[in-house]
Amino acid sequence: MQTTTQDTPAFIKVRGLKKSYSETIQVLKGLDLDMYPGDRIVVIGPSGGGKSTLLRCVMGLENIDEGTIEVDGKPYIKGQGRTEKNAIDHTIQKQVGMVFQHYTLFPHLTILQNLTLAPVKSRGIPRSQAEEKARGLLKRLGLADKADAQPSQLSGGQKQRVAIARALMLSPELMLFDEVTSALDPELVNEVESVMMQLADQHMPMMIVTHDMWFAKNIATRVVFCAGGVVVEDGTPEQIFSNPKEQRTRDFLEKILHTENAA
Amino acid sequence: MSYNVNFLFLLDYWDALLEGLMTTLGITGLCLILGLGLGFVVALLRLSSNPVVKAVTTLYVEFFRGTPVLIQLFWIFFCLPLILGFEISNFVSAVIALTLYMGAIVSETFRSSLRAIEKDQMDACVALGIGGFTKIFYVILPQAILRAIPTLLSNSVSLFKESALVSAVGMSDLMYIGQNISSVTFKPVEMLTAVAVIYFLIAFPLTRSVSWVERKLIHKIAL
Repeated sequence: MQTTTQDTPAFIKVRGLKKSYSETIQVLKGLDLDMYPGDRIVVIGPSGGGKSTLLRCVMGLENIDEGTIEVDGKPYIKGQGRTEKNAIDHTIQKQVGMVFQHYTLFPHLTILQNLTLAPVKSRGIPRSQAEEKARGLLKRLGLADKADAQPSQLSGGQKQRVAIARALMLSPELMLFDEVTSALDPELVNEVESVMMQLADQHMPMMIVTHDMWFAKNIATRVVFCAGGVVVEDGTPEQIFSNPKEQRTRDFLEKILHTENAA
Repeated sequence: MSYNVNFLFLLDYWDALLEGLMTTLGITGLCLILGLGLGFVVALLRLSSNPVVKAVTTLYVEFFRGTPVLIQLFWIFFCLPLILGFEISNFVSAVIALTLYMGAIVSETFRSSLRAIEKDQMDACVALGIGGFTKIFYVILPQAILRAIPTLLSNSVSLFKESALVSAVGMSDLMYIGQNISSVTFKPVEMLTAVAVIYFLIAFPLTRSVSWVERKLIHKIAL
């Protein structure tokens, strides 16, 4: 397993990230996080702790109140107050890809069109080139025969693999996975997780939110425990799962692993 | 006085009825096209952040949905010329009235189908860097229109039936011709029944097709 070298400059640097949904509901309360080249970060923690919000902020889907996100030392997103729009560098945003819990495929387009819409219409890549890449990706993910199907004809696991392929079409330099297996039937989880493992083998930098602790252990180079809107503990999977330092991490893992064993 | 029901005489008037039906279909088709365009634009304007645009379009929609079409038609035919100072033909009045009515109804259909597009489709667009023109014309509008189709079909059937009102300003549509024949031949039972049957024969398959189209679309895009 890769180890992170903290001497190299951070690939992604999150500082003092604050996000609230109203005057009273504050989800992120000054979160700091560094992601180094080669890192695959799995974010775990109780619901409402800010895991998904963190990913959504990194994608630029949420307007942050305060804080900054830098990528490769360059400013990416800067909060300018709750009611003010973020300063956001859209060139950097284009290097980030995201897969969501509920697939979010375009229901009126075929699988192939789902994959080629953004590259062809928004990035100006020639259609023939985009289609070739799309077919190649679908083949790699075991969906070669689904190119002309509609999303409604696919199983949840297939839809999620298409969603991953759609994000990969844009050659992202960072992939965000927000609870991508949470909506799936248990027997379909594996096909999606193994695609993510394939990406890990190709050293794709990833930030993953998941409730599957077994998967977290296997894919992560770093595990971040996030609760109450801040990073409570951050370490290697071995460290976090075998020997957590913080009481809150211990309590959370005890609860989760207890439930998993019971199931 | 006894009344002998006899439908056979209708055969003598089939060409007149056909002409009336053509007028009805023509005015329905014209107002349908104009109303769809108007309703679509109004639906988009009602989503505007400009409060004046929003207020004006909302007032229009609520007013035309909340008043009888017959009054709208009479007002345009009889009252508007007094304000404008020139006559408006019965054809133009009918087209204006039915278009405004259809526009108001259809804009509501479009508005609810636009609203039904989940926020996560917008999230997907951000994550894929799809914005502006591409987002509107390739992601939002096709989904909104697909969702709207079954209701738009029902709206069209309503317009077809409401179009009988144009006979009240002397447009020689199916209803008007039917009334004329019945007063000339003193056969109101046969004539009004026949006219109702003609309306029904056209509206019924359309109404039935609504649920069929709905099932097809739901199956296709799993709304």
